[in-house]
Amino acid sequence: MTKKIYKDNELAGLRTGGIIKQKQKDYFILRTRIPGGHLKADLLKKYSTIAKKYGRDYVHVSTRQGIEIPWIHIKNIPKLLKDLKKLNILKGACGPRSRNLIACPGMSVCRFGFVDTEQLAGKLDSVAFGKEVPKKFKVAITGCLNSCAKPQENDLGFQAQGEPEVDLSKCIGCTLCAKVCEKVCLRGKRKPAIIMDENKRPIYRKKNCFFEGDCIRVCPVNAWKTKMVGFTVYIGGKVGRFPKFGVKIADFVKESQIPKIIRNTIRCYNRIAKKGERFGEALERQDLEKIKEEIL
Amino acid sequence: MNRIKGNQYINLKGVPCPLNFVKTKLKLETMGTGEVLEVELDDGEPITNVTASVKEEGHQILKVEKADEYWKLLIKKQ
Repeated sequence: MTKKIYKDNELAGLRTGGIIKQKQKDYFILRTRIPGGHLKADLLKKYSTIAKKYGRDYVHVSTRQGIEIPWIHIKNIPKLLKDLKKLNILKGACGPRSRNLIACPGMSVCRFGFVDTEQLAGKLDSVAFGKEVPKKFKVAITGCLNSCAKPQENDLGFQAQGEPEVDLSKCIGCTLCAKVCEKVCLRGKRKPAIIMDENKRPIYRKKNCFFEGDCIRVCPVNAWKTKMVGFTVYIGGKVGRFPKFGVKIADFVKESQIPKIIRNTIRCYNRIAKKGERFGEALERQDLEKIKEEIL
Repeated sequence: MNRIKGNQYINLKGVPCPLNFVKTKLKLETMGTGEVLEVELDDGEPITNVTASVKEEGHQILKVEKADEYWKLLIKKQ
C-alpha cells in the first residue's frame, strides 16, 4: 500500500481554523459557529447533510453555541470546506483567536430580557470573531441579571440591565413591587431598593437596585416602567484549568458603544498579555483604572 | 373604593406554581370578555408569579389585595 502524500493546499485547509485533530489517526472534528446561538431551521438541515456525508451521522452541540461534526477524514477536508462555503455554514475558531460570541435568547422571547441579545450577537460577529490574540478570547452577551450566557466567565461580558421608574398616578398600592424587590435585595445582601410609605406608595432608592426588572414584571397595572437600558461590562473572566470571574468595569454602557469596547479590549489584550496567556491572567499585573480608560 | 365583585371565583390556596397559573388560565378561557375572575392565592411566589403571568397573557388586573395569610386577585378577562 502506498502512503498518500498530502498537497500543500490540502494542508492549508487545516490552518484556517475550525478543523481540530481528533485523537484517532487521520480524523478531524469540524467546529462551526452559530453567533448568539440563533440558527435558522433551514440551516440546521444542512448540518444534518454534512454530518451524514462527511461524519458518522451525529453532531456534538458544543458549550459555546456551536455544532461540531466529528469523524471527518483528512482526505475529505478540501471538499468539505467547499461544501461549507456553499451552504453558508460558518466555521468556528481554534488556536490563538477570538471565539464564537454567545448570547442568551434575549427579549424576543424571554420575559426577563431587556435586550434582543441574539440579534445583537449576530451583528457583532464581525467585530468579535476570529481575531488574532495571545491565547483565546471569548465574548458573551446576556439579557439580564440572571446571567444565562455567563458574562462573568468570559474574557469580555455584557449584561443588560434596566433602570425602573414608577408612575404613581397608576399605582394601586398593591405592594407587590416592594415584595419582589425585598427578595432580590436580600439575596444580593442589600437593603431593599423599593419600600412602601405609610400610604402604600412605593419609594425607589436607586443605590440599592440590582436593575433586574422584577418590579416592572410584577406590577399589575404597569405603573413601573423601564426608564433606561444599558449594559454592565465584565472583563477578564475565564474558566479552564484555573477559573476566575471577570471584574465589573462599567454600568449602563450604551449598546452603540459595544463594538468599540470589543475592539479596544482585544487591542488591550494583545498589548498586555504574553503568548499563551489569557486576558484575566495578564490583568493581574495591571492597574485596573488605566485599563478601564483604555477600554471604555 | 367600590367593592368589585367577581363573576367567577377560584380558590387556589395550597396550589403550587405553575399549576395555580394554569388553573387561572383555564378558568379565564371559560369566561366571556369583560367578566371578572376572583382568585385566592398563597403568599410568596404564587401571588407574584400568577400576577406577572396573567398580565403577560394580556388580561387586566383590577385589584391585588392581601387578606390575612393569602392574596386576592381580581382579573378582568380581555
